[in-house]
Amino acid sequence: PVHRLDGPTGGLVLVAKTRAALRLASAAFAAREVRKRYRAVVWGRLAAGGVVDIPLDGKPASTGYSPLRWHPMEPSGGRDAGVGTGERGAGSLEGNRWTGTRGAAPGSALAVTVLDLAPVTGRTHQLRRHLALMGHPIVGDPKYTSGYAAQRALALGDPAAEEGWRAGGGQTVAPGAIAGATPHLPTGLHLWSVGLGLRHPITSEPLTLQLDEPPEADAAPAPKGKAKPAGKKQKETKLGMRATKDGDFSEWYSQVVIESEMISHYDVSGCYILRPWAYAIWDEIKNWFDAEIKKLGVQNAYFPLFITEEALTTEKDHVEGFAAEVAWVTKSGSSDLDRPLAIRPTSETVMYPFYRDWIRSHRDLPLRLNQWTNVVRWEFKHPTPFIRSREFLWQEGHTAFATRGEADAEVHTILDLYAAIYQDLLAVPVVRGVKSSKEKFAGALYTTTVEAFIPHTGRGIQGGTSHCLGQNFSKMFNIEFETEDGTRAHAWQNSWGFTTRSIGVMIMTHGDDRGVVIPPRVCAVQVVLIPIPSTKLGEEARAAMAARAAEIEAALKTAGLRVRVDDRDNYTPGWKYNYWELRGVPLRLELGPKDMEAGVAMLARRDTGAKESVAWADVAARVPQLLDTIQSDMLAKAKATLDTCIEQVTTWEGFMAALERKHAVLAPWCDEESVEEDVKRRSAGKDGENKDAREATMGAKTLCIPLEQPELPEGTMCFASGKPAKNWALWGRSY
Amino acid sequence: MSVVLSSIRWYLDVIREAQLADYGPVRGTMVIRPYGYALWERLQSWLDAALKEHGVQNAYFPQLIPMSFFEREAEHVEGFAPELAIVTRGGGKELEEPLALRPTSETIINSMFAKWVQSHRDLPMRLNQWANVHRWEMRTRPFVRTLEFMWQEGHTAHATPEEARAEAMAMLEVYREFAVTQAAMPVIAGRKSRIEQFAGANATFTIEAMMRDGRALQAGTTHDLGDNFSRAFGTQFSDAGGRLRHAHQASFGMSTRMVGGVVMSHGDDTGLRLPPRMAPLQADVGTEKSPGWKFSHWEMKGVPLRIEIGPRDVASGTCAIARRDRPGKEGKEFGVPLAPELLVQEVLKRLDEVQAELLERATRFRDEHILDVSSHSQFLEVIEQGKWARGWWAGSDEQEVALKEESGATLRCFPLEQPGGGGTCFLTGKPADQVALFAKAY
Repeated sequence: PVHRLDGPTGGLVLVAKTRAALRLASAAFAAREVRKRYRAVVWGRLAAGGVVDIPLDGKPASTGYSPLRWHPMEPSGGRDAGVGTGERGAGSLEGNRWTGTRGAAPGSALAVTVLDLAPVTGRTHQLRRHLALMGHPIVGDPKYTSGYAAQRALALGDPAAEEGWRAGGGQTVAPGAIAGATPHLPTGLHLWSVGLGLRHPITSEPLTLQLDEPPEADAAPAPKGKAKPAGKKQKETKLGMRATKDGDFSEWYSQVVIESEMISHYDVSGCYILRPWAYAIWDEIKNWFDAEIKKLGVQNAYFPLFITEEALTTEKDHVEGFAAEVAWVTKSGSSDLDRPLAIRPTSETVMYPFYRDWIRSHRDLPLRLNQWTNVVRWEFKHPTPFIRSREFLWQEGHTAFATRGEADAEVHTILDLYAAIYQDLLAVPVVRGVKSSKEKFAGALYTTTVEAFIPHTGRGIQGGTSHCLGQNFSKMFNIEFETEDGTRAHAWQNSWGFTTRSIGVMIMTHGDDRGVVIPPRVCAVQVVLIPIPSTKLGEEARAAMAARAAEIEAALKTAGLRVRVDDRDNYTPGWKYNYWELRGVPLRLELGPKDMEAGVAMLARRDTGAKESVAWADVAARVPQLLDTIQSDMLAKAKATLDTCIEQVTTWEGFMAALERKHAVLAPWCDEESVEEDVKRRSAGKDGENKDAREATMGAKTLCIPLEQPELPEGTMCFASGKPAKNWALWGRSY
Repeated sequence: MSVVLSSIRWYLDVIREAQLADYGPVRGTMVIRPYGYALWERLQSWLDAALKEHGVQNAYFPQLIPMSFFEREAEHVEGFAPELAIVTRGGGKELEEPLALRPTSETIINSMFAKWVQSHRDLPMRLNQWANVHRWEMRTRPFVRTLEFMWQEGHTAHATPEEARAEAMAMLEVYREFAVTQAAMPVIAGRKSRIEQFAGANATFTIEAMMRDGRALQAGTTHDLGDNFSRAFGTQFSDAGGRLRHAHQASFGMSTRMVGGVVMSHGDDTGLRLPPRMAPLQADVGTEKSPGWKFSHWEMKGVPLRIEIGPRDVASGTCAIARRDRPGKEGKEFGVPLAPELLVQEVLKRLDEVQAELLERATRFRDEHILDVSSHSQFLEVIEQGKWARGWWAGSDEQEVALKEESGATLRCFPLEQPGGGGTCFLTGKPADQVALFAKAY
């Protein structure tokens, strides 16, 4: 080993294979030419970063630190491991990872902070001692953990220590409290060497060696960077993905949304950050759908986020559906509001009083408005990025017509547009159908839906709904108009909504063990161009390659494509391949020295891995074709999978067997609500021990009654009740 | 300037009659109706393209922000705490920590920058979001000041203070360009005084627009945040030499307030006058049979051109084009050929003319209403007349505040375009090296 880590410290170690390399590398360490990064979990809450430069053993010593996040902890007698609803802000360990809200409960008795450390010097036990002196000893470090250490640091009058002490709430960590809390934590020193930056001792090539974040520390994004087999604990160029889609689907999904940089977790449980890579997809969906509804004559508007309590309670059915999930504003500044204000979970109750005012005569109809907004539903169900979050983005259309015929027609026009978003843009096959009376939107006359299916979990997922509200709401809100012959009538209304959940369905459908796979039509980058300048290449040849790359880029942009050239010089081509595969860019164009000689470029598909060589002159024509092929192949593949996942059965035994195989089931049904409830109960397994098991055995419900119905011969009986069947319904476990 | 025009009554009438907005059910909120929202969409699509061109990427950050986030930047919390709308209950339970509805997103975005910015290679990082924000304002007015408004907020991180400053200036220029070329508003770009700058910024830059009643409207701001937030949130990167450094940042925002600005910049006694590049409808077609109320309806809605076709016109294959910005016969051209190609040409030409003339007229109006002052009494007189005062300024923060209390006018900005050299402060008589603009403002 070239450099030493304290015995209990984990992580990256540099090993030299030859004596010459050992000598040169050791010299680089001694001369402080090597950048070192560590990750630690320390006691207390540290809000801001800084530098500690308290001399150690009479020699100067300097450690840069910056907090990444903190977790509240409860002392012994507190929660058991495995909590994680986040409501009380408790941090705990579940398996090998932290759960719980971050940043809640300031001043909670105990907290730990995850720190990034950058020591400039390398004194004995420097990191452990510096942090202890700041009053934030490293977790699992009995040698330097005591209240005394912190107090001593204060006594030294060191400003950095004092700042750290105050940021941590000024508490002294009593050894007893730690002993009590320790069962929540894995044993051992919570300190890892995670990054080394140096020049290769022989070639002088700059090397950045990084470890994925230690699994013990958190599930947050792994540090980016190139890892070469200098340290033995890390395989080469392992970017991000550790779980496999078939092996542990839910873990795979959690990782893939983070590692592809689509999502970041946030201090508020159930709220996520949509990073540019994800938001660009939403932008594409939005632009397409917005243009389509404007063609239909729908106009955009914006209604306030706040709903008064009175308004919210106008519609009884409706309120029962949402009241339990409402978030309430009760204060402005430091004063209490007279009446709390609800944050919209949906906007019927804020919009329809205006519809009552605006609609007087048949000439005011149809009124077709849409808004693009955020909504908040404070649920306590297990949150999943995109799929179920407490805040999400959507469009909600609300329209009013003079006749039922017009309303019916619009419901289906919109449903077709939703199906087109899934199939044409996201390459996800869906089943169009009508919801059963049990599953329809509270207050609707009927609800139509597009349903997708996730084969890995065997669960259906509602992709978007278009409701005919009939006259239910117009009667409630007195939305009346004068007809052409002078009589008064209630308006016929629709509402329809489509959310960012669709992005999650897309990821689940197409992603693989290397990352997400994004269909060309919605991907922010459709083609990534990677020049491969080998080190042997002369200056002139490199310049020629760069110029060729720029030319191809320009030609593709002229063809109307979204192109990115990755010419970063600090990463290898292989690392870049992984990087863009993780992000799901549909097509990679490689330009290497041999391609330069032959006048060609190599095209590699993300979805199939297939490669083909194309002459430069043909690139601008071939790439758009190939993107179209990828788009349709992705849909075809997903459709083929879906088809194998829907089984048509006529008996209860067949139904249960299909569910057992994690399939959806098309079965003849008597269309009675009590039977649906009965099926749900009978198809549920025993309560499982953990979440996955519970979900695998939850009861099945109707996903929809598909618009496209197989023939139903006279005398066909319901698979569940044995009564005469009225239709074929699609059943399944669901999200 | 018409008396009617100067009154708030005029403004509220136009907003209602032109169906731009309605009052929301909660005091200080509003419903943006399709015609008003279409104006906002014009702004959105122009600005979104301009920001993307500049390398800014869109993202979305949660609306609910833990109160503790605000407390990290001392000035920021002081500035915003009184205006926060706070959620304490959700799903039938009390929340452990209260959550504020974002009044602006510096705090949450910086908590993320701290994770995303690791190396100098991650910089510059430029993000933007189109979102609603809430500020608990006491005196509200549709579009101009509301409890909830729509905006874009851009947030960037850079390696050096110079780059952060340059970003703030570049974005100010984008805003200025939008105001001038699209909204026909001859805004003045400048820097805010310490008193008026954003809570937590090193410097705030603004475009100030003059409304037809002489009041100033701050139409867009950009901020050089220095490393204030990156220190508070620990946003550090390792530079090329491997040293940890704090990022330097900028932020910038333009909001639905701009819609109010367009209304108050160009409107007249008949109603709205929209610059063609902002107008949801650029021309309406009327026939002699159209009832008079239809003409005045579209005039009130500010549609830039009206094409009138009478029976005689049909016979002669011509029509008349009337300009909304010039009332009566003066703005009407007869005998315009109806042949589609010729008509389209003529209409496009007229639209360009209207756009240019609205800007010209607003510029003339602005220049007539800015007066140079060299003494305290002159200053008070100019402000009293409802005009803007421009003068050399070397007063202290306290004197600036006192002047505001005395006159009702605030220091709008130190214009970027300065006369050069130096002068004598109109208030203190001290030597001053820059002129400042003062006005009563919305």
